[in-house]
Amino acid sequence: MRSRRANVGDDVVPIRRSWWRPSQFSETISAYALLSPALVVFFLFFFVPTGFLVYISFFHWGILSSATQFVGLKNFRTLFAQPLFLRSIETSAYYTIVMIPATVMLALAIAMLLREVVTARRGGVWRAAVFLPHVTPVVATSIIWVWIFNPQFGLANAVLTFLHLPALNWLESVHWALPAVMIDSLWHSLGLYVIVFLAGLANIPRELLEVASLEGASRKHVFRRIILPLLSPTTFFVVILATVNSWQAFSQIYAMTGGPHGGAGGPAFSTTTDSLLTYQTAFIYDHFSLAAAMALILFLIILALTLIQKWVSNRLVFYR
Amino acid sequence: MTKTIKWVAVTVVAVLFAFPLYWVVVTAFNTKKGVFSIPPKFTPAFHTSAFLYVLTHSSWLGYMFNTIFISGSTVLLVIITSAMAGYALSDLRFRGAGVVFGAVLAVILLPAQALLIPQYDVALHLHMLNTYWIQIIPFAASTFGVLLFRQFFKTLPRSYWEAARLEGVGHLRYVFRIALPLARPAVVTVALLTFISSWNQFQWPLIMTTSHSVQPIEIALSHYMQTYEANWRKLTSAVLLALAPIVVVFIALQRYIVDGVAGRDSGVNA
Repeated sequence: MRSRRANVGDDVVPIRRSWWRPSQFSETISAYALLSPALVVFFLFFFVPTGFLVYISFFHWGILSSATQFVGLKNFRTLFAQPLFLRSIETSAYYTIVMIPATVMLALAIAMLLREVVTARRGGVWRAAVFLPHVTPVVATSIIWVWIFNPQFGLANAVLTFLHLPALNWLESVHWALPAVMIDSLWHSLGLYVIVFLAGLANIPRELLEVASLEGASRKHVFRRIILPLLSPTTFFVVILATVNSWQAFSQIYAMTGGPHGGAGGPAFSTTTDSLLTYQTAFIYDHFSLAAAMALILFLIILALTLIQKWVSNRLVFYR
Repeated sequence: MTKTIKWVAVTVVAVLFAFPLYWVVVTAFNTKKGVFSIPPKFTPAFHTSAFLYVLTHSSWLGYMFNTIFISGSTVLLVIITSAMAGYALSDLRFRGAGVVFGAVLAVILLPAQALLIPQYDVALHLHMLNTYWIQIIPFAASTFGVLLFRQFFKTLPRSYWEAARLEGVGHLRYVFRIALPLARPAVVTVALLTFISSWNQFQWPLIMTTSHSVQPIEIALSHYMQTYEANWRKLTSAVLLALAPIVVVFIALQRYIVDGVAGRDSGVNA
């Protein structure tokens, strides 16, 4: 798997086993001993549950009942007969479909802006300010957004009123609750994507851009014909990441739509996304098998989206 | 676009991003009436009664302690397990290295949301539900950490390792006495990113814990909001408590954090 590295000055010859070297056998023992803490954690909390997930979604299984019976696809049939489940997929899709273009466009625009002022020696402050929300605890900052979106005393409506626009009911309205969550999510996550884009932009050779402008290409032209194609692998990465993160979004939705009665996902199920419904099915209503089947479908949807994007990107992405 | 316009635009963007955090401070330090003024006032009133109440109220401090204890332990364990595994994968030659490496990588490909249900069952069978341990152990190993240490240890001169072998220094001593001190940048990056993701856990403790004695402040915040929705000053004071440490750490070490994020090729499973 890995060849021996030779240090500078070494003669590159196959290293012979000297008498003092421990045998291959004891090195293997040591290696597994050193690896064991990490591997035990991975095995117990990731690999075992993965196998288990597939198993329980085909069985009728309760957390307390020891009687498990094979029910085949019944869980899945039950799910697709539930209007709320289909609606939660719609809600998740709506959330994701809005979040992806918003994320890509805003993050790229901000990254292009920052690139002008952030040099190796200055401007780190701006980059840090944009990234700061991303390291804050989601629930803590969602609470301040709930306050900002307060229909009576909130900042959002104060701004809207100031601009002579109609005030909105935000989190108490069926139409505006999810957009309010999107604004919080964008604010919280954009910083990460901006950093990713900045790293991608830094990899574009400066000479190329200089030559282009010397040849008289307009800025718009340089952006469309040079920057965008060279940036496409980064853009693809951002799209995949944004898709997975949007479809799995949980904490901000839970925190913002909880309301005084603790039933997240309101009003009138308008913010009950897939991940929220799965959580409620499993941990509020104790339907573990049903939730496992749901989670499996959730995973397959994300996988399908990723594969579709991969296929599309193979036609669009330009790898140097 | 002239230079001035650019600077103005950049400043506006930065202010927009920082503003909600500023708003936490304004609300927390507002007067009882000031919170409900229409239109809102944009300057802090420095009225500290609500914040002091939260600070002196033992339950909030207890939640704070839980959060600090969980994050601290997780960081320490991640450094230890990642350094050991990274060393084995970079310096030792053994059968099955390829398989192990693949297994470490496979962890990031697993669907985090979908695994919560079976993970709950594993925790149940291990009698770990509702403990500190269930919030620490599952995160005590990190793919990102293992890969970063493996990369870093590969850059160390092979002669150090040979010399250590010759002198009869054991593997563990070599890792913790020689390799780890030399890998300071890797340690800082892994520690910071682990700390941030651990501090910001929410869904995991929401599912795995029920009693206040082991829950982090995030859970308390969400409960508090759902019970006393209107007491915005106390609520934002508690938010400030949860935010302050991470913001201070970030401002002090933002360069390492941002570079660490820019440098890693995947944004998942920190």
